[in-house]
Amino acid sequence: MTSEKPRIYSAEGVVLRHHNLGEADRIVTLLTPGRGILRAVAKGARKPNSKLGGQLDLIRRVSVSARTGRTLDSISQAETIESYPRLKMDLELMSKAFYLCELTEKFAVEDAPAARVYRMLIDGLSQLEKTKVPDLMIHWYEMRLLHLNGSQPQIQRCVDCGNDLEQEDHVFSAMRGGIACPSCRPSGSDTMLPASVATIKLLRFLQRAGQNEIERLRVAEDDRRQVERILREHIHFATDRTVRSASFVDEVRSQGKRVSG
Amino acid sequence: MPSDFAPSASPVVARLIDAFRKLPGVGPKSAQRLTYYMIRMPREEAQELADAVIAIKDRIVLCEICQNISEQSPCEICSNERRDQTRICIVGEPLDALAIERTRAYFGLYHVLHGVISPVNGIGADDLKLKELLERLRDGTVTELILATNPNLEGEATAMYIQRLISPLGISVTRLARGLSAGADLEYADDTTLTQALQGRSEVESGTP
Ligand SMILES: [Zn+2]
Ligand SMILES: [Zn+2]
Repeated sequence: MTSEKPRIYSAEGVVLRHHNLGEADRIVTLLTPGRGILRAVAKGARKPNSKLGGQLDLIRRVSVSARTGRTLDSISQAETIESYPRLKMDLELMSKAFYLCELTEKFAVEDAPAARVYRMLIDGLSQLEKTKVPDLMIHWYEMRLLHLNGSQPQIQRCVDCGNDLEQEDHVFSAMRGGIACPSCRPSGSDTMLPASVATIKLLRFLQRAGQNEIERLRVAEDDRRQVERILREHIHFATDRTVRSASFVDEVRSQGKRVSG
Repeated sequence: MPSDFAPSASPVVARLIDAFRKLPGVGPKSAQRLTYYMIRMPREEAQELADAVIAIKDRIVLCEICQNISEQSPCEICSNERRDQTRICIVGEPLDALAIERTRAYFGLYHVLHGVISPVNGIGADDLKLKELLERLRDGTVTELILATNPNLEGEATAMYIQRLISPLGISVTRLARGLSAGADLEYADDTTLTQALQGRSEVESGTP
């Protein structure tokens, strides 16, 4: 296996994360349609005369040439397909773009094709640049990813008794993966999140709405926050991973509120 | 972590190899090479190296004002009254301050954040030395902040966050000029480029809400 000659290949991908290696190299993680998560080294990327560094910055859609290596493949060339400039001029949008990328990464694996997840990511980033309702767009995206992954929350019937949900406040059980009626809150060490009638309605809307329909939506911030908590908790359970960028989204949002008074 | 690549090395040797492997940028091969080099090193040289390592642990502190590493607190720059007390240049790491200092084109003060906002790595604004920065701005002496974080997205996010944090104080905020190549680390920029970037710095618009 090690006697194999290095192969040159090209790939397209979105840069999800990077970290420093050695003196001036950088290890880059990309989401690609053909290879899923691709980790490769970009030699000299931190040097001022390197063209690679700027091209392989976070949240950029790039096409790369790389060669296979014994431990890590190495990227020799990179060209930007899309740099999403609008997402980088506004801190609120930037924080959401970070979240979107990291979230999507949790639904892909190394060395396995991820064409549909990749398509979702690049569509999602373009949509985030244009949307007038970035928060709702993110929730809609979360719902779509969960659907793609076959791990949507159960929001039609009670996860415990299976009955249709009455017009009243309910709870959300992340462990059971859905809404439960207040009378049969599933027991156990599970955390229950409140789910008001309006919240359940919003969740259902997000599940069936198309991309353009959410643009016309206006919802109360409290209901949206409930949906946000529910979806984050559900994603945490469904993927068994933590999306760390979520706290940056919150940090920026609360700073924005303080600044605007 | 035991050294898996040199099973026949004696425990003493393996211990040093493992210690080197923990250093940034040192892989198993280099760790081994350094270790065998040291085996042949004169004792005095080895002692000198060991002493130097211990000395930075014992004698280097963070300056209580600018948070830069120094042998004294306040550091030499902060206690130098001839430096321009109205300007603070904000950098991610001590090495970045050093790079700017090398240009001899900047006479103000520094503030070292000890990191940049990195959402995917869970590093947020709370992990940076920002409270200490706000404290320094309270008495109104400082009239300009120069944001000199690395010219990449995380550096940009950090700069934008600080800009928003500072905006109610009415202090002028500038960002190092473009000339710096995108994605490259500030510490590697050459003196001329860095000097030009300092001179060509531009006011950051307070566009966001
Ligand atoms: Zn029930
Ligand atoms: Zn100082």
